Amino acid sequence: MIEALSRALMTLATCCLGEARREWALAMQAEFEEANQARTPLSFACGCLIAAWRELPRHAEGRLSLASHMLALGLLIPLAFFQFGCGLGLSTAHGGLDTGLGPGGSQDPYLASAQLMATPALHILWLMLGAAHLRLAWVLLERDWSSVVKTGALIAAAVVTLFIVMAVLLVDNGSRMVLAAELAIETIFILGLARWHERIFLNTTPATTGW
Amino acid sequence: MGRNRRPSKQMLLLLEVLSARSQEWRHGYDLMKETGLLSGTLYPLLMRMTDQGLVEAEWREPEQPGRPARHVYRLTAAGVTFAQSAALSNATPAQKFALA
Repeated sequence: MIEALSRALMTLATCCLGEARREWALAMQAEFEEANQARTPLSFACGCLIAAWRELPRHAEGRLSLASHMLALGLLIPLAFFQFGCGLGLSTAHGGLDTGLGPGGSQDPYLASAQLMATPALHILWLMLGAAHLRLAWVLLERDWSSVVKTGALIAAAVVTLFIVMAVLLVDNGSRMVLAAELAIETIFILGLARWHERIFLNTTPATTGW
Repeated sequence: MGRNRRPSKQMLLLLEVLSARSQEWRHGYDLMKETGLLSGTLYPLLMRMTDQGLVEAEWREPEQPGRPARHVYRLTAAGVTFAQSAALSNATPAQKFALA
């Protein structure tokens, strides 16, 4: 069990060291066998992982990886949970659906009934947006750029649909502006990361970028 | 860049161990045992020192069949000079006199 865990940590350390430190990763792997024989594999593997993490900001691939994780953990995943909250009716701040339908909402009976009829579809759209953001975070960390493009297009389509439907139903103008701003910020960050990735890997694996 | 900074306690320890037998190639795990440094401290130090030209590394065939090739390390000429100057600047007046 400890050996398997240690080997997993060593694999993680190897991945974190990247191509720039491939030789050092192999050197650590070789010494791991010695540590394993001396029955200290876990402490050795933990140390190698810490060493690999310390190396991350020092090479371009590591900095790109850190930036991708920051974008995924700091923006995309919180956004996904926020959108799940809107979809499940737990948050009214963002979607404005309930604001429009609640006591302070539309007094026009036709508009109110249209809003009520649209509510389930809009909730599903919010849930779909949340799921798409989780997927976007995953494929971004996997550097699967073709999936990033597909998921990004799906998110853009969902946001535009939400924007239009919310405009037609006269649901909270501020929320629509927030939605548009979210989409713009995400697009800027992801395009920036894609260009950065392309610059780093242009000479090695140009086919993997997909941009 | 790093060479202009004062070497850390761990780096001094590693320099001391490497310069004790400067012509001898040493394995990473043996250096860990000799210096008492953990792998999380030793490897970043070795990487830095290799980048700065203080340490040289090469691959050696495994001593036992079925084992991977191992990396070995030793001080370069610049590393030996640096180790001597670092030892001198960290020595007490009595040690400095003995070294001189």
